[in-house]
Amino acid sequence: MSHGFEMAPSKGPAVPDNPALAGLSRLLDRLNHAILMVSMGALILTALVLTYSVVSRYFFQVATDWQDEASVFMLVGVTFFCAAYVQSYRGHIGIEALAGILPRGVNRARLVLVDLLSFLFCAFFSWKSWTLFHEALVEGQTTTSTFAPPLWIPYSIMAAGISLLSVQLLLQLAARVTNHRDNHV
Amino acid sequence: MSELTLGLMYGVATLVVMFSGMPIAFALGVVAVSFMYFFMPASSLDTVTQNVYEEMASITLLSIPLFILKGAAIGKSPAGKDLYSAIHTWLNKVPGGLGIANVFACALFAAMAGSSPATCSAIGSAGIPEMRKRGYSPGFAAGIIAAGGTLGILLPPSITMILYAVAAEQSLGRLFLAGIGPGVLLVGLFASYAVYRARKEYRLAYAIYEAGGAKSAYLHEEDFTFRQKVEMLPRVLPFIILLIGVMVALYGGYATPSETAGLGALMALVLIALVYRIWRPSDLAPILQSTIKESTMLLLIIGMSLLYSYVMSYLHISQSAAQAVIALHLSKWALLAVILLMVIVFGFFLPPVSIILMTAPIILPPLKAAGFDLIWFGVVMTIVMEMGLIHPPVGLNIFVIKNIAPDIPLKDVIRGVMPFVGLMFVAVFLLCFFPGIATFLPDRLMGMK
Repeated sequence: MSHGFEMAPSKGPAVPDNPALAGLSRLLDRLNHAILMVSMGALILTALVLTYSVVSRYFFQVATDWQDEASVFMLVGVTFFCAAYVQSYRGHIGIEALAGILPRGVNRARLVLVDLLSFLFCAFFSWKSWTLFHEALVEGQTTTSTFAPPLWIPYSIMAAGISLLSVQLLLQLAARVTNHRDNHV
Repeated sequence: MSELTLGLMYGVATLVVMFSGMPIAFALGVVAVSFMYFFMPASSLDTVTQNVYEEMASITLLSIPLFILKGAAIGKSPAGKDLYSAIHTWLNKVPGGLGIANVFACALFAAMAGSSPATCSAIGSAGIPEMRKRGYSPGFAAGIIAAGGTLGILLPPSITMILYAVAAEQSLGRLFLAGIGPGVLLVGLFASYAVYRARKEYRLAYAIYEAGGAKSAYLHEEDFTFRQKVEMLPRVLPFIILLIGVMVALYGGYATPSETAGLGALMALVLIALVYRIWRPSDLAPILQSTIKESTMLLLIIGMSLLYSYVMSYLHISQSAAQAVIALHLSKWALLAVILLMVIVFGFFLPPVSIILMTAPIILPPLKAAGFDLIWFGVVMTIVMEMGLIHPPVGLNIFVIKNIAPDIPLKDVIRGVMPFVGLMFVAVFLLCFFPGIATFLPDRLMGMK
């Protein structure tokens, strides 16, 4: 369980034993790190946009009609784009009550199955997100507000973010299967 | 297949997948998509991503990362220690004042940071060593901090309450205001217990000393000059101004909840830059990084929980379950007791975010039919979920305390928090008898519902 608080700083993503997977993992870490940097900027920018909206309305009597949707797009973007980064640290919380009870071999099989199911779900979600993006782009869908920005923007971010998460999960699954028994990725 | 059978299958599938250890967000998504595939029209699978996006693209929900950023900025600065020290110097002469100072510091910090564990860590890392230095028993010191930290999800801006407001379709402004009265009540109960217990331990220490035993640290006097007290204020005042500023922006009609979140986050970053010189990119990176980790994890759970609830609603599981609960013809209070018991049990292994979003469609209609005010219930439910933060087996705050004071045995920590769990039960009873404790402030400031 987590509530806006880290008990201890993360050590960094675990490295797979297989050299090819380790190389891919490093590549993905760099990409995740770059996305994290952009997302940090987007987070601060969102705070600035929402503050500007209050200031412009009360001090300059200028109402803005774009700030809510710009904020939504940025924060949805941060959420989906950083999902892979969080997964690289295994930061998506789950109930690990069985981990200490099951025999070692059964527990290993459980972890592989969990990663496999997680990957299949995210891959499915990713496929449907790209379909949604394609429809929005072809049909020129926009939001229903007066500002009416195109919906392909957030859909593309969602699709790209979840695809990256799927790749991250696939890599972790492959590492889980190929690793030595004492290396938990 | 009957809706009851379908509902049971949905529940069992959820338990199995969740207890497999799969991340909660994916687990909820897997269960929802599987049931869509087997029991809903094939075309429904095409709308999965659109459903998740539309639910997540709520500007109220998206205030969560910004409130987390505000909390992380304050939580990772020395503001907690300064706040604690300032209150301690001012309450030094009050009997049991050190305990009260810790409770007050927890409440104020929780209101600024909005996170229970962050409050425990920030106030506890200064408060627990000080209390132990002054003779407080380790379990008691740990209990004060663990319980004080729970106020983070009750006092505004509480992320738990934002989720409840969305799930129950209630006014967030009213809900935030409704949390203040019970928050003050809990502060009063915790502080009273702290005084009672501190005086009891003081008397025991005095009796041992009188009988020729060792002189406990309880019996040492500590004085602060007026100048020392005044000198503590400048570091704390900006944060109190932030706290008040956020409330004024929200309730003065100057800003929406999401704008308040953005404004609060920015003000918190500016304040830590001015007061603690935390402004370099290398200083800010850990704050932003932990905010992103936390909010990404939470928002994915929220998105998938909403998909999960959508499937429950489409298959009439939530409606049937709600009708089945109503058909039990339980008395109003028996219904409340059963529902709160269920929330307590869920609190053993689920975070508040999942409890709210998964149970809201089932428990809220019967409560509404029984005549309960859903704003009032949101507050009561939050207090009950607060208990989950300090009672075994999962009690997150207990593990935060173990992290900052590892030499206090776990059994002492648990024994120390149990009286506070009892006080929370007292608060729930008082709220049942006097609902105005929660509803007075929103009714007064925002008009009757």
